[in-house]
Amino acid sequence: MCGIAGRILNREGEVGQDLVELMDAQAHRGADSTGFAIYTKPLPEGGKVRLMGFDRRNLNSDLDDVIKILRNHGSDLLTDPQIDDASSAHYSVRLEAKEPANVENWIAEADLISNRIEVLSYGISLEIIKDVGDAEAVADKHHLRTMQGTHGLGHARLATESDVSPKASHPFWARPFPDVAIVHNGQITNYYLWRDKLELQGYRFMTENDSELLAVWISDQKRKGLSLQQALIKSVSEIDGVFTFMISDLNGIGLAKDRFAMKPLVTLESEGELIAATEEQAVRRIAPDRWDVFNYDGPSMTQIWPLHTIEAAA
Amino acid sequence: MSEKVIQVGHRDIRIINQEFLEALEAGHSVVVTDTLSRHNLGVGLPRSGKIHFDGSVGYYCGGLNTGTDVRVENNAGWGTGEAMSGGIITVNGYSGMSTGAAMLGGLIHVKGDCGPRCGVAMKAGDIVVEGNLGYQAGFMAHRGRIIALGSAGPSCGDALWEAEVWVAGDIESLGVDAKIVEPEAEEVEGVDALLKQLGLEERFRDWRKIVSEQKLWYFESRDANSWLMI
Repeated sequence: MCGIAGRILNREGEVGQDLVELMDAQAHRGADSTGFAIYTKPLPEGGKVRLMGFDRRNLNSDLDDVIKILRNHGSDLLTDPQIDDASSAHYSVRLEAKEPANVENWIAEADLISNRIEVLSYGISLEIIKDVGDAEAVADKHHLRTMQGTHGLGHARLATESDVSPKASHPFWARPFPDVAIVHNGQITNYYLWRDKLELQGYRFMTENDSELLAVWISDQKRKGLSLQQALIKSVSEIDGVFTFMISDLNGIGLAKDRFAMKPLVTLESEGELIAATEEQAVRRIAPDRWDVFNYDGPSMTQIWPLHTIEAAA
Repeated sequence: MSEKVIQVGHRDIRIINQEFLEALEAGHSVVVTDTLSRHNLGVGLPRSGKIHFDGSVGYYCGGLNTGTDVRVENNAGWGTGEAMSGGIITVNGYSGMSTGAAMLGGLIHVKGDCGPRCGVAMKAGDIVVEGNLGYQAGFMAHRGRIIALGSAGPSCGDALWEAEVWVAGDIESLGVDAKIVEPEAEEVEGVDALLKQLGLEERFRDWRKIVSEQKLWYFESRDANSWLMI
């Protein structure tokens, strides 16, 4: 049992605050770890890199290695790294960097040191922030509530398939595709079958978490030329298990749900905005007086909610 | 009967449920405000009384109800009336997955649509849905009736035991081991009487009754002694 959430605003606003509320309301669904994928104001050039390092004692040298690899690929820092000031062994870093000449080649080299410091996300807008603890703890540590943006995803994890660690938390970036993230509630039962196939094709897995498969699987489908909608529809027949997952990119949020209709999602759509959560009571945190929600309760459902920002429409 | 208003908000659910019990046992009818779709509201209600949730409720509302008349103004989440043995639960809006799961008696009346696996493993009682039934309605239901005035989604009546699913509208597909039979006239009268009791329009409905084909009942003997040897 995990909890997921999605939020789309019709103009740039307090999407961090809303996602924290949605996940705080669902903390009972999994307080092992909490994570967020937030689409903040796009950079005019370069991209945002979110990193997680695993041994704070080696922070400087590990960060130097990451920057060195960025430079190997024609990139360089556009801003000074921002590092959390917590006392935990693991730490998070935010960078803004010039776009690497080839993101796929860069991330392939960066992944060689992912046992020390891992790239969590890359994109002109996407920032993935995840950590152990509930929504409140993660929000306080990473200053989520003040993050402004247009849309995003949230996840509360009850670890069932792999260990409790910041690394195994959601969301997962659909590496190497910039600005694509995924959150998942459920269990993937043909995980090893797909993992073996994808690894034989050269894909790398950062964790033992079955949800990561969805991010890698979607990447593979995108590489094969499928649109997001086509990939979502295909996932329902190709992926076995009970699942509801949400995927986000620069253009909005998508959903796919398994053939057994086991994992819920409740949505409220209004004036170009979306509030989505595993439980209706979480939606109430944002819209306490609205009850015209829609339940994605049926089997084999897919959906895409596009971003309709007022700025984009103008 | 005097009315007592109990506010939910973000207060502790155990305390709220205790307040419901005390108010109902004192003979008050209860109006519940600021429900915020919270879970486990009105679980374990007593043998008599009336409670009105003026909003939406979350999971398991009215679970283990023994006789209270429960009304939900808007939507209800998963497992509404789970394992209830008596009373009536009325949901004015949508009722989520596993409505009436394992219920042992009483009546659930949903005025909107119902989510997947309505009446899963129910043992007795009735579920009346004015709208449509979701996926796998009546899954593994032992006894009792599920009556839908609207249509039924995929896999209706999957792995039924002795329960019946009545559908007046279209049936998207039948589940494993389910079949449609022509209902007897007196059975239709029984259903019509129940609908009339709920104030629903009296008119002809083209009922299809879905029951088990009993092919999954692979055992040949119903003699319990033969099972005691295992």
